[in-house]
Amino acid sequence: MADDDKDMFICRCEEVTLREIEQAIDEGFVTVTDIKRVTRAGMGLCQGRTCTKTIARIIAQRTGKPLEEVLPKSYRYPVRPEKLQVVENEEFNDAKDS
Amino acid sequence: MTHAADVLVIGGGIIGLSCGFYLTKRGKRVCVLDSGGFADGASGACDDMILFQSKKPGINLELTFESLELYKSLRAEVDDNLGFANLGGMVLIENQQELEIMEEFVSQQRSYGLDVEVIDKREIHKKQPFLSDHIIASTYSKMDSQIDPFAVMRAFERKGSSYGMKVFRRNGVVGIERIGNGDYLVSTQDGTVFQAPIVVNAAGTWAGQIGEMVGANVPITPKRGQIIITERVPPIGETNLWSAKYLVTKLRNDVVVDLNEDERSMGLSFAFTRSGGDTYLVGSTREYVGFDKGTTIGGIRAIINQTLKYLPRLRDVNFIRAIAGLRPSTPDGRMLLGEHAGIDGFFTAAGHEGDGIALAPITGTLLAAMVCRDPGDHRLDELSPNRFANL
Ligand SMILES: Cc1cc2nc3c(=O)[nH]c(=O)nc-3n(C[C@H](O)[C@H](O)[C@H](O)COP(=O)(O)OP(=O)(O)OC[C@H]3O[C@@H](n4cnc5c(N)ncnc54)[C@H](O)[C@@H]3O)c2cc1C
Repeated sequence: MADDDKDMFICRCEEVTLREIEQAIDEGFVTVTDIKRVTRAGMGLCQGRTCTKTIARIIAQRTGKPLEEVLPKSYRYPVRPEKLQVVENEEFNDAKDS
Repeated sequence: MTHAADVLVIGGGIIGLSCGFYLTKRGKRVCVLDSGGFADGASGACDDMILFQSKKPGINLELTFESLELYKSLRAEVDDNLGFANLGGMVLIENQQELEIMEEFVSQQRSYGLDVEVIDKREIHKKQPFLSDHIIASTYSKMDSQIDPFAVMRAFERKGSSYGMKVFRRNGVVGIERIGNGDYLVSTQDGTVFQAPIVVNAAGTWAGQIGEMVGANVPITPKRGQIIITERVPPIGETNLWSAKYLVTKLRNDVVVDLNEDERSMGLSFAFTRSGGDTYLVGSTREYVGFDKGTTIGGIRAIINQTLKYLPRLRDVNFIRAIAGLRPSTPDGRMLLGEHAGIDGFFTAAGHEGDGIALAPITGTLLAAMVCRDPGDHRLDELSPNRFANL
């Protein structure tokens, strides 16, 4: 891969590049959750909704691990941004503990 | 397969990594063993404060000053700011009774050398224009600082590894056995065995389970804290914020603070801190629910309602995530740090409750000094795990 491509943002919200992600993988951080915590990829506004799968694929390719092993196990409420005033809505109470 | 080392550190949270880092710098060959991924414990689900104001004069406050200095040298050594910031903090006071208790507390802290004062409504408004009008006074200390726990942990690991430290993850410790020459054999889930003359129990909330493996009493219980995280927003005020409620109940258990039944049972108290990523971490709860790391709708609702009471204009701000962590809490609010009597070579460094981020570098430094048999520091006697040996 050309070196320029390594500067491509994999997580746009937090501006994390392919290079940073590959470096973290090579240091032994080999799940999406590990990568998120060491690079902040997936911690921004969209909470990894766009980059989680891409990061999982990069890890799987680089380590030979199956996708299921590197993907996060569960998703927690809120799955998308919610205004604080959401507590005033009836439906809020129907959201699930996680 | 057996790995030999000088020291085995069990638990790779911020405390275990700090112990590993400072031991490695003292020339020890160290393996750090963790059952989870990076920052799976409390160190990955907490606020980032190096908080002075919450502490009574005494050992925890003293060690926080020393830790702040060590964080300075660590940042220089790794050539990274590690998300350090010094925004100062305010503890919000809502009625006359809280004011009296906090005034007395502040004067104790001042005589101990902490730079803290009580400020009036006008001063408050200058520092925090969005704050609700019902706040009658506040404390202010410019000492309160913060540092990014993820960055700190990665720095300990990176720099430590460059000196030879080894970290093993996703492979929990399942048993500890002692052999003829006094060495410990530590076995892990996948069957790998680690051997060393020294074992450090740094398993945070889970340290009691590790203690049991060698017959040591380590009375640490999980105290869950939930937090929500906002989207990126411009600064809401100049400082970080807390409510006096939790402190007041800690200082005076006869005082009943103004909380409803639900809020009281989950130990709700306000903490509002700006993180390096320009988001706010807003919390939190203190719940006794065993080892359950889940977030709850009840907890999130209580945190939001509380936030809107103090900062009503935040209604339109989005929150993007909710997290929960287990604070390792001890019966007397102090960590366990030292070697267990009668179990030579077995040390515990755990039980930091709500101060493990603040106290990480000093804990690792002191632990390394103990393992290397430096001359004893008598201030630390009150942290000895042996205070619980006969309980
Ligand atoms: C909501 C909240 C807010 C907080 N805010 C602050 C703050 O502002 N400032 C501050 O200083 N502190 C704060 N804290 C406290 C801080 O998070 C803790 O004191 C600190 O993280 C404890 O670190 P630790 O390394 O001891 O524990 P942990 O990070 O929990 O690490 C323990 C490790 O042991 C591992 N482990 C468990 N069992 C085994 C086994 N059998 N074998 C191997 N490994 C095992 C776990 O996987 C884990 O990684 C807060 C905590 C919470 C919950």
